[in-house]
Amino acid sequence: MIEVRNVNKSFGDKHVLKDINATFKPGNVNMIIGRSGSGKTVLLKSIIGLHVPETGDIFFDGREFIRANMKFKREIRQEIGMVFQGGALFTSQTVEENIMFPLNLFTNWSKAEKLKRVNFCLERVNIQNANHLYPSEISGGMQKRVSIARAISLNPKYLFCDEPNSGLDPQTAILIDRLIKEITIEYDITTIVNTHDMNSVMEAGDSINYIHEGQNWWQGGREDIFNSDNIELNQFVFASELCKKIKKVSG
Amino acid sequence: MRLLTTIGKYFVLMSSVFAKPVKLRIFIKRVLEEVEQIGMDSIWIVSIVSIFMGAVLTLQVAINFEAPYIPRYLIGLSARDTMILEFSSTIICLILAGKVGSNIASEIGTMRITEQIDALEIMGINSANYLILPKITAAIISFPVLNLLSIILGIAGGYLVSAATGVVSVYDYIYGLNYLFVPFYVTYSLIKICVFSVIITSVSSFHGYYTFGGALEVGKSSTRAVVYSIILILLFNLILTQLLLT
Repeated sequence: MIEVRNVNKSFGDKHVLKDINATFKPGNVNMIIGRSGSGKTVLLKSIIGLHVPETGDIFFDGREFIRANMKFKREIRQEIGMVFQGGALFTSQTVEENIMFPLNLFTNWSKAEKLKRVNFCLERVNIQNANHLYPSEISGGMQKRVSIARAISLNPKYLFCDEPNSGLDPQTAILIDRLIKEITIEYDITTIVNTHDMNSVMEAGDSINYIHEGQNWWQGGREDIFNSDNIELNQFVFASELCKKIKKVSG
Repeated sequence: MRLLTTIGKYFVLMSSVFAKPVKLRIFIKRVLEEVEQIGMDSIWIVSIVSIFMGAVLTLQVAINFEAPYIPRYLIGLSARDTMILEFSSTIICLILAGKVGSNIASEIGTMRITEQIDALEIMGINSANYLILPKITAAIISFPVLNLLSIILGIAGGYLVSAATGVVSVYDYIYGLNYLFVPFYVTYSLIKICVFSVIITSVSSFHGYYTFGGALEVGKSSTRAVVYSIILILLFNLILTQLLLT
């Protein structure tokens, strides 16, 4: 479980995160949603320590993270898997080398054991015969799946996904959403997904945090989102004409 | 104030760079890869520049030493000492600052803007140590070799031009090469190039590591890396010469 307590973060005069409180449970796909510039990426990066909040606390299963020393932070980070918006695969390495990378650094496994794990992870994300291809030689959807494979290679306790569907077609996006959901349940991971794609929310979201102007404006389940009378949330969720029509039809 | 902040940031980064690598085997592998990229891939440019520099240097000295009271063997001596003292260390490093420095800054800068450095950090890896220390180590290993290669090829370039054009006889040129040789000059040249190798790799890595934005910023970082490396090389050339030769 990840707990965020009273987190504040500013860049110069701009107060980006305003007293954020949230709890992210294991075995759930926890969604952080919000408009562009609302502060959701800053929140995600603050949780994993890429930004340092001015005030507040973040706990990974009760372990204080923000004020921990770098050695302890690195130990916690070895339990984290991260899927970046652009994949962040190492372009100079093949698919196999990318997934083997954390295994090389943090395990003492033999080459055969590492290769077995790589192939297992690739199979888990439905990729075959791509071991020796470079990231530039595979599609955007495949890059995302390789990124997920790399993120789960060390059996993480926490999985973070920053806009995993950006730039993908709707069908591939659904596949990625389902994959994240399956992996979360299968390994009982605490997953946090940062997105503004409502399809993703409906496909995979268990618990939703709506960030508006740097505040955790609304929290609830997937079903609650349609019944909420929160004006800002409704404006975000039912922004498209299609969603407006669905709402109208469903009453 | 901004300069002080930059210097501070540089030393903070270097304190992360000079840490114990996660795995020695992987570190050695990375160093060997960098030796190939930084050292081996620079052999051709160092060779071409050195041969032509040695040749031109010999021609120019020969033209300027035409007075009958100046012994002709001084042409060989001048070519030798100029190559050892200045050309093969300072000039070669100014060229390498352009080739290697811009390459390092753009490589690390691209890794920064494509979140590959963030990915390393999230995995619990000291990204500065993982990316930069092998480059500095590889430069310290390979630059002195390039320096010695440059000295040899520069002198050979002078030999070729003297044999081909006859501006100085081969006998005089070789006699000059052996005349009043000071072995410490080679040590001085090697010390200088070791310092310059650290400057080029660390300054370029620093500018790449702190790239923020997009492709345009990577280009700007690359340019800054080359400019600051060159300025620091010239400054440290002066300081080291004052310290070691006077």
